[in-house]
Amino acid sequence: MNGTHDMGAAVPGPAAGAAAAPRRRWTRPAIAGALLWLAGLGVPLVLDQTWVFIAALFAVYAVVALSQDIVLGRAGMFDMGHAVYFGIGAYVTAILNLQFGWPILATWPVAVITATLLGAVLAAPIVRLRGDYLLVATIGFNAIFVLALNNNVGGVTGGGDGLFGVGAPSLFGWGLASQSAMFYLNWLAFAFTLWLIHNLERSHLGRTLHYLKLDQLAAGTLGVNAGRYRVLAFALGAALAGFAGTLFATLMSAVSPGAFVFTESVTLFAIVLVGGQGSIPGVLLGTVLMFVVPQVFRGFAEYRYFVFGIAMMVIMVLRPQGIWPRGKGSAP
Amino acid sequence: MSEALLRLEQVGMRFSGLQAVDALDFSVQAGQVFGLIGPNGAGKTTVFNLITGVYRPTSGKVWWQGQDITGAAPHRVAAMGIFRTFQTIRLFAGLTVLQNVQAGLHLQTRQQWWQGLLGTPAQRREESAQRAQVGELLERLDLSKVADEDATSLAYGLQRRVELARALVARPKLLILDEPAAGLNDQESLELNRTILAIRDSGVTVLLVEHDMNVVMNVTDRIVCISFGRKIAEGTPAQIRSNAQVIEAYLGKDDDDDALAAAHGVQGAAA
Repeated sequence: MNGTHDMGAAVPGPAAGAAAAPRRRWTRPAIAGALLWLAGLGVPLVLDQTWVFIAALFAVYAVVALSQDIVLGRAGMFDMGHAVYFGIGAYVTAILNLQFGWPILATWPVAVITATLLGAVLAAPIVRLRGDYLLVATIGFNAIFVLALNNNVGGVTGGGDGLFGVGAPSLFGWGLASQSAMFYLNWLAFAFTLWLIHNLERSHLGRTLHYLKLDQLAAGTLGVNAGRYRVLAFALGAALAGFAGTLFATLMSAVSPGAFVFTESVTLFAIVLVGGQGSIPGVLLGTVLMFVVPQVFRGFAEYRYFVFGIAMMVIMVLRPQGIWPRGKGSAP
Repeated sequence: MSEALLRLEQVGMRFSGLQAVDALDFSVQAGQVFGLIGPNGAGKTTVFNLITGVYRPTSGKVWWQGQDITGAAPHRVAAMGIFRTFQTIRLFAGLTVLQNVQAGLHLQTRQQWWQGLLGTPAQRREESAQRAQVGELLERLDLSKVADEDATSLAYGLQRRVELARALVARPKLLILDEPAAGLNDQESLELNRTILAIRDSGVTVLLVEHDMNVVMNVTDRIVCISFGRKIAEGTPAQIRSNAQVIEAYLGKDDDDDALAAAHGVQGAAA
């Protein structure tokens, strides 16, 4: 800091318009991620049906966990009712397919839009609440949602047993009923989600959510309308969760309230905290720990919360930023 | 006289029993460097928070270019062209200097949220143009070398400058500086004087709260002195310097070290 600062033109002029859109450089983590994803495509070729199913399930839960991360890890809102949006997506697909005979693919947009609207509508009155109050409100949403499903609201949810026999999607007359076809579909959806979030990290929206999370007052005095961006983050998280839900319904060919209860929301919440907030690899690692490892060690599945509970305590004490925290370079 | 850029009309703020600001009147004309001074606890920062929408006044009105902006939310106040820095620095922790300053471009950003999600060419162009724009400002403020460093890990004086850059890049009409010289060494505070004058010369009106009398007396065109939330004097630096009430307010019964030091500043500057 030597000499006078040339402040003659302290107020900067408009940005000089660069001619061509700059190309995104592939960062090393992005290349590693893309290679892993490509390797994943080989799962149906080399592994048996059980593994193909586990990989497909991982893809679905990865999408939900990444959507939870938008709300919790990136926008900093303590949403502990995220299973609601996952469930809405799943139930809309199941109901439209089973009760009204819609083809699966036609239910997709309805499932996503319903989840998005619900996310926005539920979020609007609560986004101004302080973290702990917002958390309690979202728990309330989850409780009401499960209650409604169990009570067979409108006579279409199937009550506590849920709905069975959800069909498989078909594309141009070709059914995608096989385990492998289902896997490829989910694996593609997973890639699409990764691409969206990768872009989000490099966008004005991603930066703005991060500013809000770090310091709402400072962001406000720079012109950020906190309410608008928080509702947007909620709607976006709900949209992706709804998308994952519709995939879940077809993968399992059934839906029941048990898959969307409060503890599922807690698990999603914990995945983000334990994995690393706002970190794609962190959230994916958390998903593997919570949803894949129990599938692999089926005999120990009942110890899932025991093992994960201890892991959560150890990690939160020793590594509060998560297993794989968001890197400085990856910050928007 | 033409309509003031900013006008406070009988503005009051009451926090359960404590009248922090009481029937305060003052007008800031465009092109001025306007100083707000007063002993510790006089309510200076509260006044800034009332103007920028952090608090809503319990009485009175705030006018901006003839428009009533009393109690408008911070983001609406920013949209009017009013930007500020904070007494206790509020940079975004863990983000680089460049990312911090880019936040100041929020209201000038054109990309829509969905363009960001899709990574459209226009969106990428804007992001890189913004980074270039911020880079230029950092160059001018001698911050280029630390552009990629964690902003909150920098030395205090540099952090103040980053916060100033973040407000400047937003192209303010009115720039509000809350104790910009706090924690700066003599050399840095001298540079700050030049910077404030250069900002004014570029057409930005400046409103500042400051304890450092060296800064206040040398850069302001007009000063209001408040004590216990009330205006006790208003005038040019020369008038304020010799105002008996101002000197008394600073010495008074308050034996706070800062107040004493500041009072010596008043007298020293007067000598």
